[in-house]
Amino acid sequence: MPVQCSSCTKKRAVLKRPKTGHSLCKDCFFWAFEEEVHQTIVSARLFNRGETVGIGASGGKDSTVLAHVLKVLNERYDYGLKLLLLSVDEGITGYRDDSLETVKRNQQQYELPLKIVSYEELYGWTMDAIVKQVGLKNNCTFCGVFRRQALDRGAMMLKVDKICTGHNADDVAETVLMNVLRGDIARLRRCTAISTASEGEGAIPRCKPLKYTYEKEIVLYAYFKKLDYFSTECIYSPNAYRGHARTFLKDLESVRPSAIVDVIHSGETLSVKEGVKMPVQGTCSRCGYISSQALCKSCVLLEGLNRGLPRLGIGKHHRLHGKILAQQPLTQQEERKLKAIDF
Amino acid sequence: MAAPIALHLEFGGGAELLFDGVKNHHVTLPSQSEPWDMRQLLAWIRGNMLKERPELFVQGESVRPGILVLINDADWELMGELEYQLQDQDNIIFISTLHGG
Amino acid sequence: MCQVDEEYNGHLEKISLPTLSKKCVKCKDGTAVLIIRVGDAFCRDCFKEYFIHKFRAMLGKNRVIFPGEKVLLAVSGGPASSSMLSQVQEGLSRDAPKKLRFVPGIVFVDEGGACGLSVEERQRAIAQLESIFREKGFPYHVVHLEQVFSLPGSVLEAVSSAPEQPGSSYKAAVDQFIQNSRGEHGLMEPSVEDAESGFAQLSTQDPTYPTEHRLALERLLASVRTLTAKEDLLQTLRQHLILHTARVHGYTKVMMGDSCSRLAVKLLSSISLGRGASLATDTGFSDTRYGDVVIVRPMRDYSSKEIAFYNRMFNVPSVFIPGLDTKTPEKASIQRLTESFVTKLQADFPSTVSTIYRTSEKLHSARTPQSAITDLTSKCLLCMCAIDTNTEEASAFNAILVSERLSQSGLRETAPHTQAQALPTESPGQCCSSGGQGQGCGSGDCCSSAQSSVTPDLKGLLCYSCRLTIKDMTAVETLPQYIMTEAEKRQRRLRMKMEISEFLLDDEESGE
Repeated sequence: MPVQCSSCTKKRAVLKRPKTGHSLCKDCFFWAFEEEVHQTIVSARLFNRGETVGIGASGGKDSTVLAHVLKVLNERYDYGLKLLLLSVDEGITGYRDDSLETVKRNQQQYELPLKIVSYEELYGWTMDAIVKQVGLKNNCTFCGVFRRQALDRGAMMLKVDKICTGHNADDVAETVLMNVLRGDIARLRRCTAISTASEGEGAIPRCKPLKYTYEKEIVLYAYFKKLDYFSTECIYSPNAYRGHARTFLKDLESVRPSAIVDVIHSGETLSVKEGVKMPVQGTCSRCGYISSQALCKSCVLLEGLNRGLPRLGIGKHHRLHGKILAQQPLTQQEERKLKAIDF
Repeated sequence: MAAPIALHLEFGGGAELLFDGVKNHHVTLPSQSEPWDMRQLLAWIRGNMLKERPELFVQGESVRPGILVLINDADWELMGELEYQLQDQDNIIFISTLHGG
Repeated sequence: MCQVDEEYNGHLEKISLPTLSKKCVKCKDGTAVLIIRVGDAFCRDCFKEYFIHKFRAMLGKNRVIFPGEKVLLAVSGGPASSSMLSQVQEGLSRDAPKKLRFVPGIVFVDEGGACGLSVEERQRAIAQLESIFREKGFPYHVVHLEQVFSLPGSVLEAVSSAPEQPGSSYKAAVDQFIQNSRGEHGLMEPSVEDAESGFAQLSTQDPTYPTEHRLALERLLASVRTLTAKEDLLQTLRQHLILHTARVHGYTKVMMGDSCSRLAVKLLSSISLGRGASLATDTGFSDTRYGDVVIVRPMRDYSSKEIAFYNRMFNVPSVFIPGLDTKTPEKASIQRLTESFVTKLQADFPSTVSTIYRTSEKLHSARTPQSAITDLTSKCLLCMCAIDTNTEEASAFNAILVSERLSQSGLRETAPHTQAQALPTESPGQCCSSGGQGQGCGSGDCCSSAQSSVTPDLKGLLCYSCRLTIKDMTAVETLPQYIMTEAEKRQRRLRMKMEISEFLLDDEESGE
């Protein structure tokens, strides 16, 4: 019982679209998929002609598809963008070194320049070394904070105007759910924004052209286009709590496939009470990166690593920022609390 | 009595890790009284092929949400999902969407 | 993706249970009988005091119920609303200075017809509840779900109420009330009299409903393809019945028994159902969407555990009535799935419910401009919340419209460039283009006015989430008449508005 494509009504459909329930054949799917990303780029005014755009490339399915589609659209619609690939080497043996090989192949396949920045050269620490010191429990905090800044630093070296990342609809919806579960109203309000305007000195505007694209369609697009991507889970285990939100989202999708975009709609339309305290963005007094505290998260984490007190950046120790800035030693009691023993 | 059928199973997107890292499998389902369907295939995979943590692949009688299934290169949602009756030489692909970005 | 620029610690960590302390944390004397929050063990007496105080504190803090006001308690028979009923009785009977001063009545909506209960089962449940209600001595109204088929269209009109009460007018009302009640004693005990008239009314009311309405309900439910949509629709119809009952009998407030656990589930499922814009209205303490009748949720500070313990310790009777989702598997509906998700997460992370619940307190009801309250076309026909599809061009709503358009036949031929030009810039209410084509009106041909007068195209009149519910229906015309009639009326109004705006636009163009 082959199902006909609902668009060309001629060929056999190869997938059922989760967002709308339509069935499409391979060619109509490619066309609709690319066209939708184009509409997103145009309607949200993500880019301007002549800009240099860095694509955050991890070698995974999302960023590989993003790089491919942006290249296609840049030519088809003559965006006039200068595209390049931007990768971060976290220094995870057996994971990132393999996925970077994929990125290097992509560089040749798509003929896009590639820049790799490593944690080691930026911070003097690889993730392997960090895990050795902090253990497996909070390492994702280090990695996440460092990656965000590493991408910015790499982008600045290349004089990039904008960074785009492969976050897809599932990622955005998951983040909405996460922020509800964590009661984080400030992030709940921000997390559905498709782009962050330049938030201050040290940060480059970021956007998510795949914000409305389902993970299912990204995987199928990559599969049918035979794109070369890397699919292995990070060896330093993902976060358990986020895992709960992801499982819940996937279950929601299986009950009602539109649920993912429905969650995004919810996130986009909810409004926050006035008078709810929102953090004020400033800049880090050590490195100049955006921060709502005297020191940015990255500098605090780094200070913790260098002083052998990894807990410094985990949890709230804002009152210690003054001491760190003044390079004063901490008291014994403070030190004891920040050592890794009870991780 | 239905004759034994040969299938090509492919696991990708990380799902292969649950099968000793092997992506392609050629299997033959034994003959049985009724024709084989996807529901029975999943039970058979669980019983005969899954090396570890079956809950990461099957849940209830279906696949875990987030694993895409293609039957002869088409979305199984178009083919009747669990009810699909397998034919000899069918090509069944399981792609995990769950890791890596 | 492990995009972790976030902190996972503090309240998210699993909290290991403290060793059971034997003494109550409050009086330090009584033997503890339950733990409320992590570490707070209470004895029986302190728990009772705490529970009762919390109810009055909630009403006192919010100051929306005026002395002498008629308040309708929506009781389903479940533990939370039964507990609410007992709290109201407790508050009215006491001679303490913080005595409650409103005039209560009860409404029970019998949904047995939607949940597959037999006539006998329904009668038995009603009889059980009636004996509870009679004992309380409040007037009560038993309404059957089948009665939605005799509701008037006016139910769907939000009537603007007197200007929102600032604190001072509340105080004035209290003073006024105290003065009056000193004069004439009768006012202080209105319940007896009202109760009698309530019974009288009930006995004259035919306890049954016409067979045709029973069949109409069956047809309606049979046309809803998913349990998710069924539950949503049932909720909407229930609200309409309660609202109508309140208006007919002159109640200006309705109390719902949603507990904090219930609201956490509701908040998360509302998000999953695309109701983000209405979250605050759906889960806040007071809900003013209907204008003249305000919904309040005084049980929102209690967890289901507290309620269950209280009911058991102090013999609060409740009646279990199977609902739509009773005994359904976990993935039967979005609502059911969310409930089991929150319950499981709560077991691992004890602060889950309270964290989600706190989120609800920081939300704001969708901004409704004053003028929009009376403009019916700006409110959803079904849930009566503000319509939320006037989104920016780059939005999830428009992304769906684009996807629908691109997945349809005949469009592929259009050159991509012209397609790119034809970006969606739609206003809600434009007959069928606003709803995304595929579903409502046959392939390609836009609905003519003749067609829409038979089955009005509802999409333009609905909020995002109610559109999803209607999308899961195979026969929209099975909806009760009051909804269809009101839909036609609003449709006409919208068409008129559009014609006028077109006319004005033409004028402008010719002037160029």
